[in-house]
Amino acid sequence: MLKVLIPTIMLFPTIWLTSPKWLWTTTTAHSLLIALISLTWLKWTSETGWTSLNTYMATDPLSTPLLVLTCWLLPLMILASQNHINPEPISRQRLYITLLASLQTFLIMAFGATEIIMFYIMFEATLIPTLIIITRWGNQTERLNAGTYFLFYTLAGSLPLLVALLLLQQSTGTLSMLVLQYSQPLQLNSWGHMIWWAGCLIAFLVKMPLYGVHLWLPKAHVEAPVAGSMVLAAVLLKLGGYGMMRMMIMLDPLSKELAYPFIILALWGIIMTGSICLRQTDLKSLIAYSSVSHMGLVAGGILIQTPWGFSGAIILMIAHGLVSSALFCLANTAYERTHSRTMILARGLQVIFPLTAVWWFIANLANLALPPLPNLMGELMIITTLFNWSPWTILLTGLGTLITAGYSLYMFLMSQRGPTPNHITGLQPFHTREHLLMALHLVPVLLLVTKPELMWGWCY
Amino acid sequence: MASRLSRIWPTLSRVRLSSALGSRCVSQTPKSSASGAAVASDLQPVSPAAQDSHGHAEVSPFEKNPDFHGFHHHDSFVDEWNMRLAFFFGISVAIVVGGTFIHYLPDHGMRQWARREAERLIKKREAEGLPLMTENYYDPSTIVLPSSEE
Repeated sequence: MLKVLIPTIMLFPTIWLTSPKWLWTTTTAHSLLIALISLTWLKWTSETGWTSLNTYMATDPLSTPLLVLTCWLLPLMILASQNHINPEPISRQRLYITLLASLQTFLIMAFGATEIIMFYIMFEATLIPTLIIITRWGNQTERLNAGTYFLFYTLAGSLPLLVALLLLQQSTGTLSMLVLQYSQPLQLNSWGHMIWWAGCLIAFLVKMPLYGVHLWLPKAHVEAPVAGSMVLAAVLLKLGGYGMMRMMIMLDPLSKELAYPFIILALWGIIMTGSICLRQTDLKSLIAYSSVSHMGLVAGGILIQTPWGFSGAIILMIAHGLVSSALFCLANTAYERTHSRTMILARGLQVIFPLTAVWWFIANLANLALPPLPNLMGELMIITTLFNWSPWTILLTGLGTLITAGYSLYMFLMSQRGPTPNHITGLQPFHTREHLLMALHLVPVLLLVTKPELMWGWCY
Repeated sequence: MASRLSRIWPTLSRVRLSSALGSRCVSQTPKSSASGAAVASDLQPVSPAAQDSHGHAEVSPFEKNPDFHGFHHHDSFVDEWNMRLAFFFGISVAIVVGGTFIHYLPDHGMRQWARREAERLIKKREAEGLPLMTENYYDPSTIVLPSSEE
């Protein structure tokens, strides 16, 4: 754990002491080396339990894919932000990268935490850099509203979580996951216990987000600058999924009945947010709602609490993290050239940016869950386990898959095909940086097809 | 609230270590942004020359540097070396070396071992005529249960 955490903390001196000319070069290289070292976590030679273990931090097959995703994302965020942050004064550039690096540190500690309170503190701590990134570097005045929604939705969910965790500590005497995984099932039979159950999960359901408490997401994703959107879509949403999967272990048997309304909300959310996507004019908003849709499927998979549900949830989280981040990067390339997120204004791009059209194509195919990409594998596992729970869910998930394909194709056709308007033809060509960024997003998705057992978690 | 901040900010910004006096606090897209709402006009001074949000004049960087890679607008040396290092560490190191490392990782989660062990046990039990699987993992006669006093 320290072999990644210490280089990540040493990113801060790198950021502040490098000469201005080489700031972005050194931080990109440094964070890519951290990403390389983080791959060592993928070694899982036993068939149970935790590795890289010390008293405070450990990794296990659930947290490892998310940790590697987090470490992989920082260099991508730096690459994506380089162009629009460059004209700012140097100290502000350093501050921006510092915020990204601090997010990375908090996220590593969150996913690697063995004490649930440490996870909680890091969960809350990630809010601050993200809030600063959204409200300070966002591009429209709505960013202030977005920051408020983002902060207070998450806080409103997580303060009950704090109380629930303190109660758990009170009753079991420990909050270490290493110990709680072996504890006896708790006697959960009163209304108070049901409220405690809800308190444990609401924070993560808001973070995922579950349809119904998802309003912060379109605002935050749209108003954030590209690195903010990337980290929000790729990793911060997964904090919710990860938290739920950890807490579920001790919430039985109440979850059998109490999960019902949330599963229904999640499934309904897939349909609703998918339909909203079909009517969007704002490109980033479309991608944001598509994130809600995919996360609804993940939430359903986790709440079902079967091995396939959990595996499917992890696979979908990783695949969606990479693909959603790729889509936000593509949307940002259009935004940096046209200064608008309206889709009609930047259409017919395939004619002038043919290679980029390939990236758009692959990213949209991945988003609509094309086999053999892991997006499909995760979705299929979740749909199967939901069908096993209740055959009626196939109506909702099947329709959801259809609508997902619909809006992904809509996004592709709207941006790439069709007549190229006259004001588009004068746009700047694509930078090598942007092509590299897309390659670094999509090549891991393709490589994961060859070794998916890295993502299957400990259940399968 | 934003206008109040813009009046306090110049004072606050002077406290910083490296001063950047006179620069705008907020990088905003110009008013031509089609999807943005009304830009708060007291935050953005009207710039005399047409500038894009990158603070550059509306000239493509490819004019000055045809080999512009997107990393650094003014210095082509830094731009080129940034590109080389990003590609080297991103693709050659992280993807290729990292991918090779992952490919050669030992049996992930002992799944292949489990399959081999199962086949070995099946072969052994069939050879000895034992059933492939018994209900009791432990011999029931070795388990001592407390009598019904509790």
